[in-house]
Amino acid sequence: MRKYVLKRLVQVMVILFCILTILFVLFRLAPGDPVTRMVDPEMTPEESQHLIEQLGLDKPIWTQYLIYLKNCSTGEFGYSIHYGEPVARVIWDKLPNTILLFTTAVLLSAMVGISWGKIAAWRKGKATDLGLTIAALVTHTLFLPWLALLLVWIFAYQLNWFPITGMISDDVWLDPEAGFFTKAGDVLYHMVLPLTTLFLIHFGSYLLVMRSSMLDTLKEDYIVLARAKGLTERDIRNKHAAPNAWLPVVTSVGLSLAFSINGGALTETVFSWPGIGRELVFAVSHNDYPLAQASFLLISTVVLMSNVVVDVLYAFLDPRIRY
Amino acid sequence: MALLTVENLGIGYQTAKGLLKAVDGVNFTLEPGHSLGLVGESGCGKTTIGMALMGLLPPNGRITEGRIVLDGLEISAMSEDELRKVRWNKVSMIFQAAMNALNPVKRISAQMVEAIQVHRPEVSDEAALTRVEGLFNLVGLPLERLYDFPHQYSGGMKQRAIIAMALALNPKLVIADEPTTALDVIVQDQILKETKELQRQFNIGIIFISHDISIVADVCHQIGVMYAGQLVESGPAEEVFFNSKHPYTQALVSSFPTLAGPKTKLAPIPGEPPNLTGTIPGCRFCDRCPKDTASCKLDHPQWQEVGPGHHVLCDHC
Amino acid sequence: MQQATIQDLKAKRRALWRQRFMENWRVFLRNPLGRIGISLLIMFGLMAACSYIPPMIDPMYHPMTGVDPKVVSSVGPSWQHWLGTDFMGRDIFSQLLAGARVAFMVGVSAAFMSVVLGTAVGMTAGYMGRFTDTALMRLADMIMVLPTLLVVLMLAALFGKLSIWMIVLMIALFRWPGVSRIIRAQTLSLKQRPFIDAARVSGASHLRIIFRHIMPNVLPLAFLYMTFRVTSAIVIEAGLAFLGFGDPGTVSWGMMLQWVWKTGHMFQAPYWLLPPGICISLITLSFYMLGRAMDEVLDPRLRDETQAG
Ligand SMILES: Nc1ncnc2c1ncn2[C@@H]1O[C@H](COP(=O)(O)OP(=O)(O)OP(=O)(O)O)[C@@H](O)[C@H]1O
Ligand code: SF4
Ligand SMILES: [Mg+2]
Repeated sequence: MRKYVLKRLVQVMVILFCILTILFVLFRLAPGDPVTRMVDPEMTPEESQHLIEQLGLDKPIWTQYLIYLKNCSTGEFGYSIHYGEPVARVIWDKLPNTILLFTTAVLLSAMVGISWGKIAAWRKGKATDLGLTIAALVTHTLFLPWLALLLVWIFAYQLNWFPITGMISDDVWLDPEAGFFTKAGDVLYHMVLPLTTLFLIHFGSYLLVMRSSMLDTLKEDYIVLARAKGLTERDIRNKHAAPNAWLPVVTSVGLSLAFSINGGALTETVFSWPGIGRELVFAVSHNDYPLAQASFLLISTVVLMSNVVVDVLYAFLDPRIRY
Repeated sequence: MALLTVENLGIGYQTAKGLLKAVDGVNFTLEPGHSLGLVGESGCGKTTIGMALMGLLPPNGRITEGRIVLDGLEISAMSEDELRKVRWNKVSMIFQAAMNALNPVKRISAQMVEAIQVHRPEVSDEAALTRVEGLFNLVGLPLERLYDFPHQYSGGMKQRAIIAMALALNPKLVIADEPTTALDVIVQDQILKETKELQRQFNIGIIFISHDISIVADVCHQIGVMYAGQLVESGPAEEVFFNSKHPYTQALVSSFPTLAGPKTKLAPIPGEPPNLTGTIPGCRFCDRCPKDTASCKLDHPQWQEVGPGHHVLCDHC
Repeated sequence: MQQATIQDLKAKRRALWRQRFMENWRVFLRNPLGRIGISLLIMFGLMAACSYIPPMIDPMYHPMTGVDPKVVSSVGPSWQHWLGTDFMGRDIFSQLLAGARVAFMVGVSAAFMSVVLGTAVGMTAGYMGRFTDTALMRLADMIMVLPTLLVVLMLAALFGKLSIWMIVLMIALFRWPGVSRIIRAQTLSLKQRPFIDAARVSGASHLRIIFRHIMPNVLPLAFLYMTFRVTSAIVIEAGLAFLGFGDPGTVSWGMMLQWVWKTGHMFQAPYWLLPPGICISLITLSFYMLGRAMDEVLDPRLRDETQAG
């Protein structure tokens, strides 16, 4: 198992290396002078000279490539043009916020999707099944930013239940009295709407996968044996059918991670959630290439690593897979 | 008192083309500790009977007439909750597709222990495991493989595990539905011998389902030959096998090489069984019967006694 | 004589084909998802077709450049403007019709390209096997885990705003791996069948085997995947436009949402916020339902067996 994890990590490194190389090549091919795109024009001449040297922009192309690889692997992505700060400092703070929202959303929607899919399969053809399936189909195909705007409009603007945007309230965080739980509660309060958005978009596909996988599983011979053993229908469903039916859902979670992070970036943007997705969108709109590049690399890393986690989880759930 | 009495059993499946009468007017009894072999070609309703005995017919199947009485309990009239207590406790089953009957994501030990604890919740985990170890010894499985997952077992081992599981609660009746078809001849032979031995040792009633009459004749006290949902010949094993009277049984006997004897040429029975969806006048075998007469097509044949306990559903023998 | 029998055979095969098609069509229509999906798509098709009409009536109905001179800010529905106008006085209803056209264009062309690419790659990988297979599938794995929307965004960061055709091309370039995997699996199983061997023995070239024998058998599957790709292409384009990176020369539904949002009208102008979102969601839903219904036609296992009982 450890060997498998190592192998997957090496694969991630290889993919990241490919992405880096492609970005490097495209950046040289793109219109515009690399120096003006990487270096803030408002810097003092000494500062910019220092940065140019650090990035190796005055060296021949191969040396530039090697310096670029070295810089990226040590997390030095240059200076953000907009913030006038090292990119690393800008985005490292944002990473936990993205991971918090993204993993909570994926876990929540997978768990709910699985349990409701199980119920739908069990009640196949009944009203519960029909209702759940239709709900899944419809929410799954809603256009995410639009759903986000609707939720903001209804629950934040009209009903005033939740904040319109952001992740924290300043008055809570500036209050020296506020303890950990107050602060955590505040973040949670801000997270409700973004999380609801992502949840509504995602649980449907997991529900549908779980439902059909559960229906397939219920036709298996070991289910008949379980029934013959005198197990209650409830135990058959929960102890025998579900653990097998999970497997395709886990696969589908893995396959949809990229889709989820797209949605994550859109959600972060609409709700001004201070994550890397929003930072990427912001950087691209403000022509801040160093920031955009670093955000993109970091997001890719998050997706690739979550893929590894999902694969390991799969191997853990299915005893037939041993690496 | 008989362990099992099946009276005039009829079972139908609701299908797109109407009610399919998979089993029609079947009668037999089984004494405790005896074994009955049900033989017949594919689709004649053997599994259907086995499932009905467990109260496990699929949702579109139901008992249309007749009764099943097991050890004084009327299976055919029980509710799902009552049936659940009887299953595996009094009657267990080794399924036709035993290869896929073990849950791939659960350890064998857990699946065996579960079978015990469902019916005896008071049994502790350790006690249940001890019992499982005993069963493993009984069926000749190595103890160190107890905690394996099913995919780590060979076909024969899986089959043994299922047999062990079927014996877990000392049931009075075990239904073995083609328990060895997926195995190679040597393992098949071993398992059959062991089954016979176990049966004698524990005085279990067995219903042994197979399409191979020579195996059944070897293993069972009684044989019931089925054709198109009906029993057509029944009696003591030697009688039915060496002295078959029904033309279908005769064809069956000659279409299989005996396990012990020399391999003779197989004589497959030409033709196909009738469609079971409509009503069938006359004898169901008449289309394929070498002896059929005009009257066979018109009237239902009657049961004839041709020897002590040996009955045949045919008017011309 | 010989000629006649070949003609006969061909006619017979055509008849058989027609019969199978009608049968499939019936299965498809029996499925409520298929029926709803088709009806919605016909509606959207009509919208796209009608999008040419309003600008002909009055230039102020031109979705991009037409401005109602009497209107200076966003107003609600009226006789002149059925769905109201946007902040510049442009007619929302005409924009909505134009958006349908863009959605179809983007969805169908991107899906078509990615399916062609995916089918080609999948057939090559499956048929050639060995190194080619490994290389192509590794590439597919790599592309598959990348978030397409953000990749295209990154390309916009590199090359500036992309035209609508560039966007379509990029979506196609990054959405083929899913298709290619399925087609590869199908090709692998076809390769085992005797008729491929027979063709090889009788001297058919690789290309001929791929095009004459394998392709006809994988095409239905590819076609099915096209409907799913359409939805993802539409959603990606809309997301891109919503974030402000759409083609500035086209009016897509995502673009309309971006305007409502960016001009701060989302709390004041529900007549403007609701229609484009509903349209994007419904068109994805209908393609999705179409796909699921087709799935059922192609895979008899999925058909509802309980209909009899
Ligand atoms: N769930 C079902 N729905 C409809 N018809 C069924 C169903 N199960 C079995 N049948 C039909 O009932 C008849 C008897 O089937 P059964 O499985 O009992 O045969 P069998 O004797 O066990 O055959 P085999 O030797 O192939 O296992 C067959 O004609 C079969 O097609
Ligand atoms: S009743 Fe007639 S047709 Fe039927 S088995 Fe006997 S001889 Fe053959
Ligand atoms: Mg059977």
